[in-house]
Formats: sequence, structure tokens, C-alpha cells
Amino acid sequence: MMHARFGRRKRGFIAVMLGLFLLMAVALPAGAMAPLKGGHLTVCQSAEPPGLDPTANTAAAIDRVVYANLFEGLVKVDRSGKLVPGLASRWEVSEAGRRYRFDLRKGVSFHDGRPFDASVARWNLEQAMGADTINPHPEYFRGIATMETPDPYTLIIDLKDTDALFLTHLAEGDAVMLPKGDRAPAKTDPVGTGPFRFVKWVRGDRVELVRFDGYWGGERPYLDRVTFKFIGDAAAQLAALKSGQIDVIGSIAAPESAFSLSKDKRFKVFAGTTTGEVILSTNNKAAPFDNKLVRQAMAHAIDRQVVVDLVMFGYGTPIGSHWSPATPYYQDLTGMFPYDPERARELLKTAGYPDGFAATIKLPAIYSYSRRAGEVIADMLAKVGIRLDIEIIEWGQWIERIYKKKEYQLTMIGHVEAWDIGIYANPDYYFQYDSEEFRTAYAKALSAPDEASKAKWFGECQRIIAADAVNGFMFSAPSLAVMKAGVMNWWPDYPTVALDCSEVWLKP
Amino acid sequence: MPLLIFRKTLSLATLLLLVSLIVFGVLYVLPGDPAQLILGLNASDETLANLRSQLGLDQPYWSQYLNWLGNHLRGRSGESITYGVPVSRLIGNALLVTGPLALLAMLVAVLMAIPLGIFAARHRHRPGDTLVMGATQLGLAIPEFWLGLLLMLLFAVQLGWLPAGGFPGWQVNAWGSIKAILLPAFALGVIRAAILTRLTRSAMLEVLGEDYVRTARAKGLRPRTVIYLHALKNALIPVLTVMGLQLGQLLAGAVIIENVYHLPGLGRLIFQAIGQRDLPVVRDGVLFMAAAVVCVNYLVDMAYVVIDPRMRLER
Repeated sequence: MMHARFGRRKRGFIAVMLGLFLLMAVALPAGAMAPLKGGHLTVCQSAEPPGLDPTANTAAAIDRVVYANLFEGLVKVDRSGKLVPGLASRWEVSEAGRRYRFDLRKGVSFHDGRPFDASVARWNLEQAMGADTINPHPEYFRGIATMETPDPYTLIIDLKDTDALFLTHLAEGDAVMLPKGDRAPAKTDPVGTGPFRFVKWVRGDRVELVRFDGYWGGERPYLDRVTFKFIGDAAAQLAALKSGQIDVIGSIAAPESAFSLSKDKRFKVFAGTTTGEVILSTNNKAAPFDNKLVRQAMAHAIDRQVVVDLVMFGYGTPIGSHWSPATPYYQDLTGMFPYDPERARELLKTAGYPDGFAATIKLPAIYSYSRRAGEVIADMLAKVGIRLDIEIIEWGQWIERIYKKKEYQLTMIGHVEAWDIGIYANPDYYFQYDSEEFRTAYAKALSAPDEASKAKWFGECQRIIAADAVNGFMFSAPSLAVMKAGVMNWWPDYPTVALDCSEVWLKP
Repeated sequence: MPLLIFRKTLSLATLLLLVSLIVFGVLYVLPGDPAQLILGLNASDETLANLRSQLGLDQPYWSQYLNWLGNHLRGRSGESITYGVPVSRLIGNALLVTGPLALLAMLVAVLMAIPLGIFAARHRHRPGDTLVMGATQLGLAIPEFWLGLLLMLLFAVQLGWLPAGGFPGWQVNAWGSIKAILLPAFALGVIRAAILTRLTRSAMLEVLGEDYVRTARAKGLRPRTVIYLHALKNALIPVLTVMGLQLGQLLAGAVIIENVYHLPGLGRLIFQAIGQRDLPVVRDGVLFMAAAVVCVNYLVDMAYVVIDPRMRLER
């Protein structure tokens, strides 16, 4: 009797719990709570942007402030890395991949009230590709043969050749839409079409944005105000977060503090993926690194997971080529050169260095991850007989001596731009890598007409440079966004260089 | 007096001209192409060349220098490459942070150092003196960024009384702006107080041993009157000299504490400008700092005259 009753009650309890569970399961994906409107979000980033015009400067600090917040392009990268409609509501690509037809959104206006239409879009692209261009990447747009605007909301672009990355480039900060006319104000008083409008820039301290009421995006944005605050010092960032002066650190400068914050209930930490690859850049024309066997030996001698553990406190993903797991068509090539010091020593012997050799690694002073990784790698390479001298150099010197004059053997740096594998096709790039095989594969990838062949050829590109061990491919940098627990809808991954606040809201 | 001012102004102008030549030369030979730093690593060569000619970087050294000098003589400062606004405005705004910060730090230093120095001198070789001298040792040994961080952790993070950094701006929030510079000013002041305390003590000890002090005491004046009216005035001369140096140094070099508290001051402005090769800001900023140091020293010279009438005769 007792047992039966107890059993029934227990069954009832289970049924109720199950029902609750199901309810939660249904409710959660739709968002545990509808986004709340209002609020002021303060976002901290390390570097102050040099100007606010992303079409005149590639600095990541600019895109992080303005991309998708202040400025928008025809195409946008969303939080999962997909290309989604921006100011163009839809587009069609012809069979051969040479003709793009964009349907532009109607009723879009700039923050100063001027309308956005096809003639504005066309003017912007013409500016970028013109002879007196100030766009750092005119080559993105030089493939355009003709542009037509049959009506104010249609833009037809004909390319000279198929360009698999054309849409991707249109989604980058280099291709955002400025109002027609004088370009100069974009640097200091930007006017865009984005969900937030520019208020002021207090030099050395912050950029203030406020909700744009005429935004086309319906409910969005949820926030009333967004302030970007520039704090370079890692300890100061942390103190500002803990004392409540800032709500989000876009990318925390010290990974060790991300670990301690993840244990604190008041905060949350996202360790997602980014487009950045941290690599041991190698001068492929400087002896002894002009020998492929030496470079392969180094690849075997470095334990990438240990590098991630020691340098980034476990945040970050080991990579096997110059491609981030966050970018489409990623190939996992980390298994190509597994950690094997014995094999490394054999390869060195075959290459003619049975006793190893001495070399110099030059590390840029401004990047702490680079300095730390350099030390860890020097220690690992010493175990197979490669003795590294560490030289720390200032950033301006790095650009002058390493990047321009190629006066180096090894260095350590993060390449943050997405889709930048094309740098390996340039034999004059600071890697000094010259491979006909790669150039052919890259050209095929760019002219690939469909997804399957894009995947094939971009995959091939990754494989070729991995097999040649052009550089030491270390890890993909983690997003490491740290924020108060009440900040909702922040991007967990950074598939493009942006701190998009258009969907963020605050839970009280 | 007018002659003195004329002489000082002339020497200031010569000095600034010299400084400008040195700064210009150093920046010219410094590696790192401003155009490349501005546009980023993957910028195309064509865009780089366009920017270089726009900035006048493709012109020879002397022509760049003469252009710059000419503009300044006509009262026009250059435009910041990264910020896109006149450099004079940037320096002016930064000075609204660094100026009050430096003055407040000096106030903290003086208010601590003079009483403590006198106290230590009067209690020479007694426990009070030992304690004060020990504390100044500590003050000299502690790096200011570390003290700044400790103060921040205690008063901003733990207690939440003061902000952990940043600067709202005087017009936006005056009280908030004062609160923002309290902690950094204290950190800067305490370190400087350590030196000033030791200096005040030794100067006081020297003066207290002199005949006129003995006379003053012998005629029955109260010890307090002797110390503050008679001895202190004479002891202040070396203290004032060092204070002048410190104030000049604070105006020019509060860069570390400004970074810790992310204050948009002069030191941080120039520090950042060097990293970004924002040449107009670096040139004018360094020049301004040199001028500030010279002017402060000039004011100290004037103050000697006020404190010590004997100096008036020497001129």
C-alpha cells in the first residue's frame, strides 16, 4: 500500500519535472527572456582607433568601434561568420560568378537624414577603386569592370574575372557605405547608416555613440547608448571592470585574468574563436630556414598545445596552417607535424645540421603574447639543438626592419585579418615564400565558381603551406570577451574584426 | 625687471629652437614609416604613396622642417595624423588633465613633506625621526605605478569610493573629474613627498644650528615662532629648487601613472603618439614639455626673490 502510494506520488513528481523541463527546452532557444530596451553599455578595448574611417585605414581598433555599430556595408558578417544581408536586402550571382545584382534596402537613411540608394553605393565603390584612392585595399575593388544602377534600389556589378572573395570583401570594413560628397569628416565626425550614431570622441579616453532612431532594423538596437573606452593597461582594465566602470572588455589583454574571472559569478567569459592566427613567421630566404627540412623539423619540435597552455592559459586553438577554425573551408592540419622531438632531430641531421644551429628571433615589444610565446618556443627548440637568441624590438622597428626590409630569421606575430591566405601568393611578402604550386591553387580558389570547388581549392592552399612548413603555425587567438553577467547577446566568437553591439541588451 | 624678462624670453626661444631641431632630427632617423603604421600592414603600395605625399613625408628633411617652423611662427600648429584635429587643441585638452594632476600631486607632497620634515628635524635621532625616515626610505623604493595599482585596488575595487581610472571631463562632471585625479595625484605626491621630507629635514637641521636661531631662542621667542617664522624661510630655498624640478617633471612625465589610471593627459598623449608615429603630436608635445620645464624653473627663480630678499640685491 505504502509502496504503491509512494510510487504514484513519485511518478507524478517525475511527470511534473519532465513537463517543466520540456517547457524550458521549448522556451530557451527562443531566448530565455525577450530583449529589454534601453541602457548604457560601456565597452573597453585596448587600443584607441587612429581615426574612425574604416575605409581609409585597416587598423583593427577602428573596425571594432564602428563596424555594424556606426557604419554598414552592402553585406554583413553575422555572429556565426555567415555573409548576411546588410544594406542590400538580397543579391544574386550569375552562373559564371561575374555578375552581381544587389537589391538595396528601401527607406535607409544616414544619421544626418540623407538617403542611402544605389548611386551612393556606386560612388563609394568608385572612391575605393579610383586612382587617388585612400582605401588601403583598392585591389579588393579593382576587379569591378562596370557598375549599373537601373533604378535607385538596384546595383549591378560586372567583374572582369570571377572573384570568390568579392562578397567577403564587400562585407569588410573597407567597403562600408559613407554619405556621398566630402570624405574627410568620416575620420573625426563619422556619419553612417548603422544602429548607433556618433556623439563625440574624447581623445585619449572614449568614443560615445547613441541610438539612431531612424534605423531600418525595426526593434534593434536595444541599447540607448554605447561608449567605447580605451584602456591599454591589463591591470587597469580589470580594475575598471571590477569597480563597475565598464561592462565589457572586448578582448582581455591578460588571459590569466580571464581564468580567474570565469570563476566569479558576477562575470562571464567567452573564449570563442577569432579570425586571427598567431604564427612563428619565418624568413624562407634566410639560411638555414631556406631549407624546407629545417622548417619541418621546427614544426615537429614545437608542442602547440603546450604553447597555448603556457602563453594563453589554455585559451586558443592549435592550428596547422594559416587558416582559423572560425573561417569557412577550414581544414584541420594540426596532425601533419605532430610533436616529435626525435623526428625533428633526424630531419635536422638530414638537412645537414646534426648539432643544430643558432638563430635569432625578434619579438615585437607591444604584444605580450608574442614575447611569451617566443620564450616558450625558444625553450622547445633548444631541446632539438636550435639555439634562439631573443631580441625584443619596438613596433615601428618591427615594421621597418622585419616587415619591409626582411632583416630577420624568425619573429612571432598574430595576423588578424580574415581570408588573408593570399599573402602567401606574394613572393615579396615578409615570409619570402615563393611557390608556383601555391599561386596556382590560390588563383583556382579565387576563380572557383561554386562552393564545392571553393572548399577544395582553399583547402588545397592551406595544405600546401602546411606541408612546406612556411611558418610555424601556432594557434588561433581566442576571443576572450569578459563582461558583467547581465550583458546579453554579446558575440561569443569573433568571425570578423568587430564588436557588434546592435543586438546586445542589458539584463538588470 | 623688464631686462630680466627679455633675457629669459630670449633664452627660452633659443632653447626651443634647439629642442625642435633635435626632436625633428630624431624623429626623422627613427625607423618606422608613419604611412605604414597608419594604414596597416597589408595596405597597397599605391595607397601608401598617396598618403605619404598627402602628409608631406615625401619631401626632404629641411623642407619639412622649414614648413613646420614657418607654420608655427605664424601661430598655426599642425594636425594630428591619428586624431585628425589640431595638435594645439589636443595639447590644451591634455593639459586640463595633467595640469591639475601635477598641481594636486605637488600639494599632497608639500602638505606631507614640510610638517614631516620639520617634525623629524626637531626629533632628531629619536624614535619619531627614525619612523619618518624609514617611511621616506619606503617611499623612495616603491615604484609609483605599483603604489597607484595598490591604491586603485583598495579605494576603487574593494571600497568603491573612487573611480579606478578614466576622466569624465571638467564640463561634463567637475566633481567626478576631481575624484578621478585624487588617487593618481596621491600616488604621485607620496613618492615626491619622500624626497622632499628628507630634504626639508636636512635643510632644517642645518638652519637650526645657526647663530640667529640661537639668538631668537635666547631672546625668549616661542619654539613654534622660531621654527616657522625664522628657520623655515631659510630652509625652504633648497626645497623650493627641488619642488620646481619635480613640478616640471610631473608636467612632462606623469606618463606611467596616466597609463595606469588611463587618464587622457599629456604624457599618455605623447607616449601613444610615439607608438603610432603621429609626428606632429610628438614634435609639438615634446616642444611644449621643454617650454613647460623652462617656465617652471623661471617661476622658481622668481620665488627665490620673494622668499629671500638677499637675492634681489644680486640682480
